[in-house]
Amino acid sequence: MLLKPEARLSLFGELPMTVFPLLKSAAIAAVLLASTAVFASAKDVTISVWAGGSGPNDNYRVDAIEVAADILEREAAIRGEQLNITVQKTPYSGWEEFKQAITLAAEAKKAPNIVATGHEDIGPWAQSGLIVPIEDYVDLDSWPVSDIYPNLMEISSFNGVVYGIPQDAESRPFFFWKPYMKQIGYTDADLEALPAKVEKGEYTLKNVLEDARKMQDKGLVQAGYGFYPRNSNGPDYWQFYTSFGGVMEEEGKLVFDKAAMKRTYQFFADAVKNGVIKKNHIGMPGDQWWKEVATGKAGIWHGGTWHYARLVNQEGLKDFFDNVQFTLIPAGEGGKANTLTHPVVYLLTAGHTPEETQIAADLVKIASEPRINALHAIKSAHLGISEAETKVDLYAGDRWASEATARLLPHANAMPNNADFGKYWTIMWKNLEASWTGAKTADAAASDAEAELKATLGAAIIIR
Amino acid sequence: MKTSRMLGLVMIAPAAIIILLFFLMPVILTAVFAMTNMSTATGISAGAYQVTQAAVNRLKTDMPELAAGISEPRFVIDEDGLTQLDALKLKPGFTAELRASHLGEVFLSRREAERMIKSLKERPSTREVKQISDVFNRSVMNTRFEDRAALMESLAKLGFKLSPQDEEKVSRATYTGWIWTADNFRTIANSQDMGQILLNTGFYVAVTLLLFNVGYALLLAVTTHYMPASTASVFRAIWLLPRITPVVIYVLMWKWLTWDNGFISLFMGLFGHPPKNYLLDSAGSAWFFVILINGFIGASMGMLVFSSAIKAIPQTHFYASEVDGANRWQQIRYIILPQLRWPILFVTCYQTLSLLASFNEILLSTRGGPGRSTEVWSLAAYHTALQNYTGNLEYGLGAAMALVLVVVGVILSLIYLRVFRYDTLVTKPLIED
Repeated sequence: MLLKPEARLSLFGELPMTVFPLLKSAAIAAVLLASTAVFASAKDVTISVWAGGSGPNDNYRVDAIEVAADILEREAAIRGEQLNITVQKTPYSGWEEFKQAITLAAEAKKAPNIVATGHEDIGPWAQSGLIVPIEDYVDLDSWPVSDIYPNLMEISSFNGVVYGIPQDAESRPFFFWKPYMKQIGYTDADLEALPAKVEKGEYTLKNVLEDARKMQDKGLVQAGYGFYPRNSNGPDYWQFYTSFGGVMEEEGKLVFDKAAMKRTYQFFADAVKNGVIKKNHIGMPGDQWWKEVATGKAGIWHGGTWHYARLVNQEGLKDFFDNVQFTLIPAGEGGKANTLTHPVVYLLTAGHTPEETQIAADLVKIASEPRINALHAIKSAHLGISEAETKVDLYAGDRWASEATARLLPHANAMPNNADFGKYWTIMWKNLEASWTGAKTADAAASDAEAELKATLGAAIIIR
Repeated sequence: MKTSRMLGLVMIAPAAIIILLFFLMPVILTAVFAMTNMSTATGISAGAYQVTQAAVNRLKTDMPELAAGISEPRFVIDEDGLTQLDALKLKPGFTAELRASHLGEVFLSRREAERMIKSLKERPSTREVKQISDVFNRSVMNTRFEDRAALMESLAKLGFKLSPQDEEKVSRATYTGWIWTADNFRTIANSQDMGQILLNTGFYVAVTLLLFNVGYALLLAVTTHYMPASTASVFRAIWLLPRITPVVIYVLMWKWLTWDNGFISLFMGLFGHPPKNYLLDSAGSAWFFVILINGFIGASMGMLVFSSAIKAIPQTHFYASEVDGANRWQQIRYIILPQLRWPILFVTCYQTLSLLASFNEILLSTRGGPGRSTEVWSLAAYHTALQNYTGNLEYGLGAAMALVLVVVGVILSLIYLRVFRYDTLVTKPLIED
């Protein structure tokens, strides 16, 4: 900008009189500069966290990180550092979309800092370098990590390296609709004793089919509603394989027990043949499934501890304990009663600066403290990750959490962390579905699974 | 002349570039991916070298000695490590204390070694603990090497002198990334399920094409041809609705119709039938609805093409035939159909390819169920490569499946051109010579 000559003249001519305003503006400038210098020393970090399988009750999977960020900021302030953490939360209600999104984002180098996912992803993700070991950033001997149940820490490891911190635990019970059980001849005392009978192997999967049939024959439930399993693929189905004597992994090698798998396939094929399971059950709308089990349309079903939250909070089943009994998954031929825990774990992804990853790790560590983790455990009816958590009032005062922990958790298995497990699972499920819908006999399905496992996994799987 | 040719090239360049980028490149990349075993577990970028328990197991048969030698983690506090530690320029107290009180100690796991390091007086941070333990690592177990040379160097330091062949074996057993392979095609050829999916696809394409995309479209075009113009356009507009409704909403409406508490169930309930999910009741009912859902969309395109082709037939042909006493059927048989050969070829060819490749309606309605009875090839490729419950995305196998689809599409197009005698359709009319 050019000044007119007069203006320039007056500017210089009145110099003494402008000294004060000049000083003033200089002072303001200095203050402004100084304040930006303060802001420059403050650290702004954005930490993104994605969680899979997070319905309306699971908001603390991501919210806990936000709570942790608040605490970490305060701790930094006490040390005299200004740390501003923005937590970007992305919960996904399903698993397919979530795993697709995370895998593709990571391949495009746009992975979030923290991921809450099923522990079985550790194997493949660690192998492909998508995640970094959390033990590189968190001292495993320090509280609260040192307090976490050792078997859960084991489940968060791969090749002897700890990759994640368990975010929750759970187990997957069988549920019985008490009013119908009474109408087919069980007394209150019988029902009380049922969990123990299941545990001892006195009440088996064979009895489940018989009782389901009785309920249908008496007209208590419609045909196909006697036994009402999960409506989609899930870790649940490995429990039946275990019930029939199957083993998933031994000494780092996957195991396919053909006879046990055949018995598993046969169980579902028989159930369809007897009419206690619907042939087209798999793939039915989830909302419908939930509504039906909550309103007593089904006699016997199975699910997870977190079903309690959904049934009570969303589906309106207020008098849960009057209507429902829960037990381990009963034994089948050649196996024993069991349940499966499928912990969700917090993982740190690769491709971020060490400073960011360190902050992410600190957040995960804080979020794993008993009181914060208990928020998730109780709101979503999952189980706690440490002994101390069970003593937090919120947790200790919750009937479901304490009963389910005692009855189920000691018998819980987990799926193996093995880079090839996903392939095994896909093949196992495909053939279960085929024998369920009658597309293959149980025999053919087990043989096909064996053939495909041999072809795809070769020496990486032991076939019995 | 030369400049005009130049101009032609310039004019076509944008289109050529777009064809190259968006049509040719995907096919080429699919072919490249198809020749690999890429999956979630291998990643897409280059892999690393890691001696895991699984890798040791792989080496056991060929090189038992090496396998035994590297299978145990081992951390030794020695002078070598202390020198390296000094070079890291961490706090000097670490080296001094380690030399004074821990020299010569051997730890059989990383955890034990790190517990000792953590107890040093100067309290190393977690990251420093890792750095320190790394320099005393005297094993390769569970260590991730970014390249082959680093792994071989570490093995050499441990006293394993490997021949080039052995190096090759070790690197193959420990490599975590993807490799070039033709196994995908072998898997496709040998899998029973793939055969079933191929049959599903053939059934789906043939039935939808014959009954709706060509058959019903032809019926609509011919019947509307004989209707008064205004009625005909109303009729055609109605059949266009499935095409212009967003597919998610369109499929949702079918679901409302067929769900357990949908319209059909309510209606059948009046006659005492218990409610059921008609969409997923059985393989047969699922196919019935999948074909209807796709057919109703597909019929509209054929209808438009055929209608305009019929419009293009000179009206005089119809007058003449009526003078000769031809009935409607004879008009269709001898006037309309012969002149519709070209549009029918086009619609058949185009719709075959689009039915082969499209799976969105099936994904939204049955998701390939019940069981996997309505899983068609393109949907299976999508499930394999990009979306499945276990998160085990097999990019290589999925790409191979997609490539099979490309090949099938090309072969079918060639067959159609032959059957419809494309060469006679494009010969120059004699009259203009």
